[in-house]
Amino acid sequence: MELSRLSHWYGAGETRRQVLFELDLVIPRGEVVFLMGPSGCGKTTILTLVGGLRSVQQGSVRVAGRELAGANEARLIANRRQCGFIFQAHNLHRSLTARENVRMGLEAQGRGLPPDADERSERMLAVVGLADHANKFQHQLSGGQRQRVAIARALVAEPPLILADEPTAALDRQTGHDVVALLRRVARERGMTVLMVTHDNRVLDFADRLLEMEDGRIVAARPGAAAAAPVNP
Amino acid sequence: MQIRDLVRRRTPLGWKQLVHSKGRMAIATAGVAFAVLLIFMQLGFMNMLFESAVMIHRQLNADIVLVSSTSRDFASPGTFPRSRLLQAVGVPGVADAEALYVTPRDWIKQSETNRGERAQMLMIGVRPDFAAFRDPEIAAQLPLLVETGTALFDRKTRGNFIPFRQAIERGERPQTELGGRTVTLVGTMQIGSSFGSEGVLIVSDQTFFEFALNRVPSAPSVGLVNVAPDHDAAGVAAAIRARFGTYDDTMVMTMEDFIEHSKGRMRRDSAISFVFTFGTIIGMIVGVVIVLEILSADVHDHLAEYATFKAMGFSNRALLGVVFEQSLILSVAGFVPGLLVSLGLYAVVRSALTMPIAMTVERLVLVFGLAVTMCALSGALAMRRVRKADPADVF
Repeated sequence: MELSRLSHWYGAGETRRQVLFELDLVIPRGEVVFLMGPSGCGKTTILTLVGGLRSVQQGSVRVAGRELAGANEARLIANRRQCGFIFQAHNLHRSLTARENVRMGLEAQGRGLPPDADERSERMLAVVGLADHANKFQHQLSGGQRQRVAIARALVAEPPLILADEPTAALDRQTGHDVVALLRRVARERGMTVLMVTHDNRVLDFADRLLEMEDGRIVAARPGAAAAAPVNP
Repeated sequence: MQIRDLVRRRTPLGWKQLVHSKGRMAIATAGVAFAVLLIFMQLGFMNMLFESAVMIHRQLNADIVLVSSTSRDFASPGTFPRSRLLQAVGVPGVADAEALYVTPRDWIKQSETNRGERAQMLMIGVRPDFAAFRDPEIAAQLPLLVETGTALFDRKTRGNFIPFRQAIERGERPQTELGGRTVTLVGTMQIGSSFGSEGVLIVSDQTFFEFALNRVPSAPSVGLVNVAPDHDAAGVAAAIRARFGTYDDTMVMTMEDFIEHSKGRMRRDSAISFVFTFGTIIGMIVGVVIVLEILSADVHDHLAEYATFKAMGFSNRALLGVVFEQSLILSVAGFVPGLLVSLGLYAVVRSALTMPIAMTVERLVLVFGLAVTMCALSGALAMRRVRKADPADVF
């Protein structure tokens, strides 16, 4: 994943406001990168640009060799299918069971449901430790369980890139810790790249690299605690 | 196996959402059912009016009908020269031909609730020894009419005539006023009311001329022609037309053509089609508004979920399919109860108004098509909001 000279503005005319300033960033495949900084510094904007949820205005965003600057809607959608999204809120569909929610991650690939969709979804639920909760609706699950279902949904199609936006914000300390640990473990096992926005100092141990942002610029980069740890214990 | 694959290809999200909010599903279904009911009743009444105008036609024992060129329908047929009937008898293939005299006349009602009120009846005069009607009950009683001043009473005349009718059937020969003269009821038969008149009285041709002083035997209203067994009605009708040559005062029609002619006249000349088509459109608008309200609310409630799905890689089209799926489900779910209630109301109308109202396959298909159109239209309008779901908003 590569950003070069990426700038972005919100609004138009008098109220136009620059949120990203000529950003350069390269994340090699398989790295787990945390993005930190005060709110409004442009972290989430980077996620939406990399994920293809917003059009690139200036500069270049390349994901898995594909250029997103000037991409049409179809290419943006193709890019979204390469990304697993984990949101601040779990954003599960309340009319669907956990298994069906996870299955939507497969259906989102645009080729309908594969014949083994249920099996794959259940396997992924087992990976996140929810094998016994496949038939529950979201109101029957705890906050941590919901976020784990959301992670299973993001990972089920095995996307090369995971984009997460403060996935622990709505969780208590221990649950948040477990959720990020789980995310890191699964991503590591499958060679997925992770870009995660977080305020949460309690989970920084799980990053390979920590990036500090301020006012639309990356002001500091340091290796995370996990970088020293062996990749395949 | 292949069908199973098709079914499994996508998660039936629209269905799941509707089932999940049962109250909303119930209201939407009721709305569609109500609209379907409205449309069925409008179309049913419209067809009933057309059908009631030709109920008498279907009772007539004739393959070919002669009427005046100015004829509108059976209730106001005009007159044509009796000599045409004599010409027709001479055409090969014609078995017999006889005249029918028709005119509306006021009488004084003898119903239980409105005794003494005036009302319009359709008076039909026929030679008592001619089998003008298919119904054997009428044929059997025609000889009673040889006595002038007597009539057969239509049991299906609108209103509560039960005691009056029973008096006739007991042979008490009750009397009332018809066109300023005394008429004696000597028997009952069954034809049915139409919107023009409340019922029918059958009299002999002689009685007819006594009650309708302006009418003469040489100017009948309807000529009834029967063809010989091995002849086809359309061919004989053409031969009669050829025999008339340049005389254009009389129309020659097969019975089916006459029925269509009368219905067509009514469709074109009256406001009936307009009024009921308007009612049907109102029914559709009611349905569209209710379904649109429900679908919009559902889309609104799921906007965050839709935005999430878009962020995950769902195309706009896939999500529009969800709304479309919901509208199809609602159209089917609403159509079935709407149809059942309509069938019930049709039965009530049939027995209370003695009018011919019936469900036809064509109407069933048409209304189902309208229900689907209605829901699809609402779906299309509600879909506009799905497009607004911005995947960048979910962060």
